[in-house]
Amino acid sequence: MAQQEKREVIERELTMSRAMVEAIATEMRDNEEVFYMGEDVADYGGIFDSTEGLLDEFGYDRIMDVPISETAYLGAAVGAAQEGMRPIAELMFVDFFGVAMDQIYNQMAKNTYMSGGNVSVPMVLTAAVGGTYNDAAQHSQTLYGTFAHVPGMKVVVPSTAYDAKGLMHNAIRDDDPVVYMFHKRLMGIGWLPAPKGPKTPVPEEDYTIPFGSADLKREGDDVTIVTLGLHVHRALDAAESLADDGVDAEVVDLRSLVPLDTDTIVESVEKTGNLVVVDEDYRSYGVTGEIVASVADESLGALDAVERVALPDVPIPYSRPLEQEVVPDAEDIEAAVQRTQ
Amino acid sequence: MVGVSTTQMKSMFEDMVTARHYEERLQEEYLEGKQPAFDISAGPIPGELHLAAGHEAAGAGVCAHLRDDDTVTAPHRPHHVAIAKGVDLKRMTAEIFGRETGLGKGKGGHMHLFDPDVNFACSGIIAEGCPPAAGAGLAAKKRNTDSVAVAYLGEGAIDQGAFLESLNFAAVHDLPVVFVIEDNDWAISMPKERVTDVENGAQRAAGFELPGVRVDHDDALAVYDAAEEAVGRARDRNGPTVIEVQVHRRMGHFMGDPESYRPEEDQAAAQARDSIERLADDLRSHGVDDDTIEELRESAHERVEEAIEWAKDQPQPDPEDAHEDMFVNPPSGVTDTEPDYELAGGDD
Amino acid sequence: MADTDRVAVTVAEWPDDADSDEGVVVNWFIREGRSIDEGKSLCEVQVEKVSLDVLAPVSGTLVEVVCGEDDEFARGDTLAWMEPA
Repeated sequence: MAQQEKREVIERELTMSRAMVEAIATEMRDNEEVFYMGEDVADYGGIFDSTEGLLDEFGYDRIMDVPISETAYLGAAVGAAQEGMRPIAELMFVDFFGVAMDQIYNQMAKNTYMSGGNVSVPMVLTAAVGGTYNDAAQHSQTLYGTFAHVPGMKVVVPSTAYDAKGLMHNAIRDDDPVVYMFHKRLMGIGWLPAPKGPKTPVPEEDYTIPFGSADLKREGDDVTIVTLGLHVHRALDAAESLADDGVDAEVVDLRSLVPLDTDTIVESVEKTGNLVVVDEDYRSYGVTGEIVASVADESLGALDAVERVALPDVPIPYSRPLEQEVVPDAEDIEAAVQRTQ
Repeated sequence: MVGVSTTQMKSMFEDMVTARHYEERLQEEYLEGKQPAFDISAGPIPGELHLAAGHEAAGAGVCAHLRDDDTVTAPHRPHHVAIAKGVDLKRMTAEIFGRETGLGKGKGGHMHLFDPDVNFACSGIIAEGCPPAAGAGLAAKKRNTDSVAVAYLGEGAIDQGAFLESLNFAAVHDLPVVFVIEDNDWAISMPKERVTDVENGAQRAAGFELPGVRVDHDDALAVYDAAEEAVGRARDRNGPTVIEVQVHRRMGHFMGDPESYRPEEDQAAAQARDSIERLADDLRSHGVDDDTIEELRESAHERVEEAIEWAKDQPQPDPEDAHEDMFVNPPSGVTDTEPDYELAGGDD
Repeated sequence: MADTDRVAVTVAEWPDDADSDEGVVVNWFIREGRSIDEGKSLCEVQVEKVSLDVLAPVSGTLVEVVCGEDDEFARGDTLAWMEPA
């Protein structure tokens, strides 16, 4: 008798923070050598809910509060990782990388290469990124370009709960250093409400999503919108509005900056001819320039129109009308798309 | 004073002679091809070279207490520490000569030597090795082993945040780490008193409620004693220690440094103190005869010559290899396939 | 379906130190029409500064959401209705 395979539809939804935490908890149960270190990760559960509930199960030893001392504890994560442990070290705000960048880009990112592959650094560097809630210039950045630019670290940016869990499992299991950048507004925090979109069905069991694999969040024929993080959802909003105008947008969620899935991007542009890149990082010398150049490199003839939508090259201002001006919204994306049509 | 065995003394002596001869020979090899006009990137050893002639006691006296599974991080002047730690001398030398069979396949060079077999690493940013050493101590603590970590740094590094942060981190988490400050009085051209008010760098430890001790003379046995206590404290899980050792820089900061900033008396004083000869005297007073001492010297010299000859015979790396070894796993991580779930669609 | 079959979803244990008798629904974890096991998290609510999960009182289907995300509710209010499996 033929067995009919009934595909189970995943119904249970999680916020992005819960999906991340679920992955971390599973890995920590499976492997004693995984531990989480950061500021306020123990009793507080992470300022942005990145370790919510983990202290109860794993205790202060494995959910480790650290002094306000990024160079020391990120460097300690490097040292522990080189001994074979699998630390997850958190930058409370990615903007704090400045005080510890040496350990990040000169040690974490380079020791594997400088040792000819004889040493590995199996750590995850998590970092809360992004603005839109008036935290001003030193607490609102994404810095995608900065981290993607320096060689030696994998860089991932989930935009949904489903992606967040799969990427986190991969990040922890990977023997290479992975920078895992989670957007504060996508986490599902009470005091920083998420838009619709990041809360998605999430399978109960563990699964991994490969790095370097962009995801088509919406298919379309008229324009390719390449984006990441929060702006995946703003792009999807723009796409809905554009549909009313008869413009069919394809939204490519990068999910991963290093490695970068150029194939998916090029394939899309070869279909639509129009490329709009949307980035919540500064315009110059960053993601938008990189994507446009990559496409031009591989398929210059396919490009009919190019638009770069990003933060202008200014520090992010505090006051509401000013911040709204500099951070692109769905209308800005829509306008950019219209300019290509 | 706890007795140091003659065997240990002879082993330290041999390490120190090896280190001194190694640096003197590297100086010769390095200057080849760079004269008469000093072109830093010419010759068999291109780039910067920071030699540790005069530092030997700090390497040997501490590493005498260490095992292979103890971790050591060192700064840009590392060779004497590497030798005392038991780093593979041939592959280290090949790495310094930029050859394919070097410790890092020629990708790291003299400032970035990694020997995972003996848990040794050095790096080129000041005080940068302190946090990873604390991290190795953290791993030992979490795994409940009795291995320890040692971070070396220069007296010019005690003002760098990475050192101070590591002291606090190691203190609050009670980590099995020993910080060894090598005070040679010069941070390139800046004398110690120009950059800090503190005469005894080990005093910094007190600010973090840690024990600190200064060894005033680069007397290998005095270093040995101080290190025995510190390493023992760490192994017994009684926390970190800071040791400052007075050493002397017999050569310039880097090869090519004319040292015009350094008073002649200072240079002469450095040449006059010799921790190696002092240890030779100690050996004699422990009943070791001159013939044995001479044998140790010869053995050290031979080892150095063998390593250098071997290294110079090694192939240059293939240029294509420059693109390899960024990661140990594939770029995609532990998988390259996407799972195939059906997620419930939105219904509102 | 008879009303008597339906099970009300409420905040089972109001936080001890909360002065307020009001809360807000922050996140729903399944949608109307979907099923869930007893004891799993149905939704997350916030009472003053405390976040807490509301667990499914029975295994079954979430048939009606009364308080959607961002809606306010008072202590004792029914947040949703479930039909037991």
